[in-house]
Amino acid sequence: MGRYTLRRLLQLMPVLIGTTFLIHFMVWQLPADPFAGRCGERPCSEAFIARMTEQFGLDQPFYIQYLTWLKNAVQGDFGVTFNQVPVITLIENSYPNTLKLALVALAIEGVIGITAGVLTGLKRGGFIDNLVLVSTLFLMGLPIVVVGFAMKWIFWSELGWISPTVSTEVRWSELIVPGFVLATTSMAYIARLMRANIAENSRADYVRTAVAKGLENKRVVGVHLLRNSMIPVVTFLGLDLGNLMAGAIVTEGIFNINGIGLTIFRAIGRHDATIVVPLATLLVVIYIFSNLIVDLFYAVLDPRIRYE
Amino acid sequence: MRRSRTVSAAALLAGSALLLSACSGGDGGDDADEAGAKSGGEIVNRGCQPENPLVPGDTNETCGGDVVDALFTGLVEYDAETAEARNAMAESIETEDNKTFTVKVKEGWKFHDGTDVKAKNFVDAWNYTAYGPNGLQNGWWFEQVKGFADTQCEDPEAGCKDGETKAKELAGLKVVDDYTFTIETEAPFSVLPAKLGYTVFSPLPDSFFDDPDAFGRKPVGNGAFKFDSWADNQEIVTSKFADYVGEQKPNVDKVTFKHYQDMDAAYDDLLAGNLDFHDQIPTAALAGEKWKDDLADRAIEREVGIIQTVTLAPKFKGPGYSEFNKAVSLAVNREQITDKIFHGTYTPATGWVSPVVDGYQEDACGEWCTYDPDKAKDMLEEAKSKGFKVPKELATYYNADGDHKPWSEAFANQVSQVFEGEFKLVAKPYPTFAELRADVNDRKIDGFFRTGWQMDFPHIENFLNPLVKTGAASNDGLYSNKAVDDKLNEADAADSTEEATKLYQDAEKLLADDMPNIPMWYYGLAAGHSEKVENVKVTPFGTLDLYSISVK
Repeated sequence: MGRYTLRRLLQLMPVLIGTTFLIHFMVWQLPADPFAGRCGERPCSEAFIARMTEQFGLDQPFYIQYLTWLKNAVQGDFGVTFNQVPVITLIENSYPNTLKLALVALAIEGVIGITAGVLTGLKRGGFIDNLVLVSTLFLMGLPIVVVGFAMKWIFWSELGWISPTVSTEVRWSELIVPGFVLATTSMAYIARLMRANIAENSRADYVRTAVAKGLENKRVVGVHLLRNSMIPVVTFLGLDLGNLMAGAIVTEGIFNINGIGLTIFRAIGRHDATIVVPLATLLVVIYIFSNLIVDLFYAVLDPRIRYE
Repeated sequence: MRRSRTVSAAALLAGSALLLSACSGGDGGDDADEAGAKSGGEIVNRGCQPENPLVPGDTNETCGGDVVDALFTGLVEYDAETAEARNAMAESIETEDNKTFTVKVKEGWKFHDGTDVKAKNFVDAWNYTAYGPNGLQNGWWFEQVKGFADTQCEDPEAGCKDGETKAKELAGLKVVDDYTFTIETEAPFSVLPAKLGYTVFSPLPDSFFDDPDAFGRKPVGNGAFKFDSWADNQEIVTSKFADYVGEQKPNVDKVTFKHYQDMDAAYDDLLAGNLDFHDQIPTAALAGEKWKDDLADRAIEREVGIIQTVTLAPKFKGPGYSEFNKAVSLAVNREQITDKIFHGTYTPATGWVSPVVDGYQEDACGEWCTYDPDKAKDMLEEAKSKGFKVPKELATYYNADGDHKPWSEAFANQVSQVFEGEFKLVAKPYPTFAELRADVNDRKIDGFFRTGWQMDFPHIENFLNPLVKTGAASNDGLYSNKAVDDKLNEADAADSTEEATKLYQDAEKLLADDMPNIPMWYYGLAAGHSEKVENVKVTPFGTLDLYSISVK
């Protein structure tokens, strides 16, 4: 297990170099001129463009720009943005919020999705099964923006339980509704995935064996059936963590949460590659790590899997 | 110009249906007795993450501008209601020839770090801002000051380093004594005093020059509010400066500029009482007057100094260009668009100058800005007879990252309908404002495109010189008419501001013959405030007047 983890971490290096190179290439090589719209209806003054070009090395060949960036990044210096704010400050301000929101969403979709999946998978064709099938279909069809506004309307306008936006302190309790909004699509997906797995595995040999051994039903379902059916769901949850972080733009906007997604979105709109590259890199790292954790978790769930 | 999200990047509808005579600022607080305004308390104002360091010479958009305005007071300030310029830090600004201005600065003013504001703080700040190698965005504001060219690098594209210029300081600025300095302009410029209220002309404390980068994150001004903290993408906090000696003193103790990305979220916060002032009521709330039901007497409508125009690409220039512009202008039913698409918040334009400024005149554009389909067809014939080649299909471009699609399409449909069988106007998007501007600046655009102007200071001059003078920076249609240039130069050199204004108005009237672009409408602002505050006024710039607002 230790050697496997080490090998995977070593593999991280080429992946990181490759992705940062690609992101860098795509963002900095965009044909759009970052100064075209920056000064409003008049072109930016030449003196300003000259200063910015010099500061950010915009006149240098692409590979030099990349290598300079890589060198600084390795030393932990992500540079400053076009408005001279250190990128690391932006990350420190927004990253914890995004992580909190993603964890809340993950917890909600995990608990509700898996529970619904197990309940329906065991009693197919019943009332609950049909209810879940219809409601998940409905949820998967709804754009997140609609869910967001609907939830806000119910819990703020009608019930008055929450404030329409999340305060700057970003308390956990404030993130429950935004987290739920963010989790809806995945939650529906997990419920269906879990249902299908339970349904399939309940006819498997090892379940029949367990029942034949005379194990009580709780143990058959809870240990044998559930554990094996969880594998695809765990994969999905792990990958979803990355999605939840990068894809929270809409939810962050609706609830005014200062997160990574919005920060990247804003930077793209302003052609500010200085923010886009480090943040996109950060998301790649998160993806890779959650993948690794998922892979390691397989061994825990399925004894047949061994890592050497 | 100060760029706001309203005009450029992510324009949101906001507006005022008020007639000019009714344009008296905030309706919401009119019933309150101003003399009885309570002092103290804290307010939360809608803000956004500044795109530049918080230095007056480097701030050119409203996210940073709103904060910088609160932190600095210049020589001149503008009345929140009438937009009239009056002395703030200036004791007097005198001139005999409109070329040399003697500025006396009031004594007793302090920066937030406790140092005195003296004449040299202005001169040093302006020299620093203008100096090419410093590369501040607003350096060009000093181009009228004598010796500006010498402070710029000859070939900035090859880089502009310290010491490569002929001079480090503007020859036209001289400190006479601690509280007096003189400004000499390259050519006579009668409205200079009115211009000095723009934040670029703010003074900077000595501490700025030690570390300009640190200053940009933690500015020290001389205004009524001092800087407290800045949490990126979250909020900027300012509080009342105890030693402020300006005539206008704010009532509130603390102003937080809370950052929002989504205007709907900000609107919800306004309704919930988490936000005290919101200057960009979102489209969803404007529809069907919903915002007026929600806010009742807390809704504020105000005409602001922004105009929308449409310009035909310079590559179509030639005989008949003006006639073609007139034809299209006659085919636009402005009233219908401002009513249906802008929910009556904007006003149809009748000229090139916003009604909120000094020097506005009615109907400068005359008959050409009215809706008259028959005459439009006649004009098209005339354009053709003069040799204008009317294409079968013509595009009108807009940037899709703003709220410009609905009106651009309505405009295209209206024009296409009037000229059915002759040519078709099609609305086409550029993905972003930056991409649109890139093609406009490179003169690559090949149809109509949206142009707009948000005033920097409330004077007719600001709507003419930067936009229609030959070779002006924002003259996107490359318009050039010697008669107009002469008139504008004459106005610049006029003996009195009254005379100057009259001459500028004459110049504006001349534009109607050429139609350098098509005036569409004047922007209005739809704003609202919370139940917690009163005496809320909106300035002609569309910002909250921080001096009159008070907490109940």
